[in-house]
Amino acid sequence: MTAGDPADQPRLLGRGSERILRACMTAIRPRGSGFDQPVDDDVLLGVDRYLSSLPPLLRVGMPLGMRLLEYGPPLFAKPRRWTTFSRLPREEQLAYFSGWLHAGGLRGNLALGLRTVIYLVFYQHPEVLASLGVDWEGRARDLVQERAALLAQRAQAGPASGRRGDDA
Amino acid sequence: MLDGGGRALALPAIPYPNVERGSAVRRDSVYAADVIVVGTGAGGATTAAALAAMGHDVLMVEEGDLHRTESFTTDPPTMLGRLYRDAGTSLIFGTPPILFAEGKCVGGSTVINGGMCWRTPDFVLDRWDREHRIPDVSPRAMQPWFEAAERILHVESNDERTWGRHSRSFADGAAKLGWPTRVNPRNMDRCVGLNNCALGCPTGAKQSMLVTEVPRALRHGARLLAQARVEKILFSGSRAIGVRGHLVGDNDRPTYRFEARAPLVVLAAGARHTPGLMMRSRLRSAALGRNLRTHPNAKVVGVFDEPLDPWIGAHQTHQIHHFLEDGILMACAAVPPGILAMGTPGLAAEHAARMRRYNHLMTAATLVEDTGEGRVRLGPDRQPVMSFRLSSQDVETIHRGVALTAQVLFSAGARSVWLPFAHLPEIHSVDELAKIETLLRKPGKIELMTVHIMGSARMSRDGGDGVVDPSGLVHGVTGLAVADASLFPSSIGVNPQETIVALALRNAERIAATLTRPKALRAQAASSVPAAERVPATASGVGR
Repeated sequence: MTAGDPADQPRLLGRGSERILRACMTAIRPRGSGFDQPVDDDVLLGVDRYLSSLPPLLRVGMPLGMRLLEYGPPLFAKPRRWTTFSRLPREEQLAYFSGWLHAGGLRGNLALGLRTVIYLVFYQHPEVLASLGVDWEGRARDLVQERAALLAQRAQAGPASGRRGDDA
Repeated sequence: MLDGGGRALALPAIPYPNVERGSAVRRDSVYAADVIVVGTGAGGATTAAALAAMGHDVLMVEEGDLHRTESFTTDPPTMLGRLYRDAGTSLIFGTPPILFAEGKCVGGSTVINGGMCWRTPDFVLDRWDREHRIPDVSPRAMQPWFEAAERILHVESNDERTWGRHSRSFADGAAKLGWPTRVNPRNMDRCVGLNNCALGCPTGAKQSMLVTEVPRALRHGARLLAQARVEKILFSGSRAIGVRGHLVGDNDRPTYRFEARAPLVVLAAGARHTPGLMMRSRLRSAALGRNLRTHPNAKVVGVFDEPLDPWIGAHQTHQIHHFLEDGILMACAAVPPGILAMGTPGLAAEHAARMRRYNHLMTAATLVEDTGEGRVRLGPDRQPVMSFRLSSQDVETIHRGVALTAQVLFSAGARSVWLPFAHLPEIHSVDELAKIETLLRKPGKIELMTVHIMGSARMSRDGGDGVVDPSGLVHGVTGLAVADASLFPSSIGVNPQETIVALALRNAERIAATLTRPKALRAQAASSVPAAERVPATASGVGR
């Protein structure tokens, strides 16, 4: 995934939503423990692509909910803050987001949804997987070839070794 | 799946003749057949292949797209968007809400399941026989259908060489407690243990409907209309005569209208959308949408000192059935980091510290045979919405199942265990298991998910307490049948794939018996389509 590829440009979120989503990522992205890769732009694109495959109700509701998160600090921050979420310092953003996450109801569900998608995309980024020592993609390539070889061997062995349940 | 140089690897390609995709159609269309099968999952594809093999003209209608094995990748966000309904974000409302995932693609949920193939437990079949008075479902009566299902699904156990370290450790933990484990029978052909089952098997080893019954139906002359969303069943009096809906584009948005006519319509859209479709079509039945069962799953994660490398090895190789009659099934399964991270507690640095130990984590779960009751209703947008209320017995069973699963993990050597309870997120020793027993029962504090729903259009002898008869034919309606997990009379407590296939095979012959003189009926159905709207034989890959 590269940020410059037009096919990977955000498809659902406008500039305002993108700013809010970036603030969410800044607040909650994994930090330390070897997870400081500069992948935020890629994660943003991945989240946007994923959000665009949500059902229509959520495609409409998610950007609206993000506006509520952005303009909510005067109402929901503890203590109240007369600014927007994306302008809060990072530690306050984290505390504010955490408050939403534990608020339950629609606010809790929205925060949980954003957290879920951000972490899903973040931890599947190739650089993050590499830092965990996980090479799922490389293993998949090897095993697809291994199975192709197994099937080729079976085909050479003749029809007697064919699979069950196939009436072709 | 491409190799490092971008070339397609040499897996044998499966031919899919007679397929039309909704996104390729540029006008309203009308189709005619002997049988319309709505949905191509375990029940739909099996029924379609069985009826096509008998010589009937079958049209399969599937809302999702045809994604071939070669297109499957290991990237969860991409594959969730392609293969899952709502990109995997469906929810069953209630306290707690239950996260639900099902497939929306040709092959249905069989494309994204773990491939476990268990026969319906004998005690469940006995219950269906005695309490629900369903004829011909006793263990003995069902045996030939299970055998046939296992041939179709190509059921075998994973070669030991494909077992991961985490799977062996889980089995060892159970063995130390004296609890026998059972090696999973799975629908696969030379599985090499990639563990990408939930995102579509890129090796083609999993014998999902995508690579078995859908192509078999097509080889027998059936047709497949993909990217076609059925919105309504059409009736003439009390006889079903077809379906109507919209084709959808690659962006999943509706484009042109379509109508399909046939003397027999088989619904296999799953236990949420099958009753939803019947409700939208104004079918009335006291039991329709009721009796929804959900097999709630509670996740339990063990943290180990030694590396387990949970991304290496087959998806799920063992289950513990020792407590099955108490409604508890336990298993461990490896999940990719992104999927595990979704449910891992904490934010920012705290989350990072937990996930850093990914290679030392074992993800296990307890599946509960539920006794509570759920419902499917139509929402304001006329789409089916599910709700479920855990019974007090379910809550107790979940707590016991979690405690037993944690016990297995400690027995296997876990240093600590993450629990699915917001008010008791972690315990550090086997001595702390007692905390689960004394934990205040707060259903809203339990984190649950499921991939099995059933029972929302259940079988019954008469229409009073069920929707379909023991053959799957809808009570009080001619020419309409159900062939998915909706028709289960109760929860079954094990993975439902084989039960769905076995019942579909059993019922296909009975359903086919209602199709007397199929050619004549097909002509009759076709004649009811206005001549101007008929698809010429050469107009598309489907019309003939």
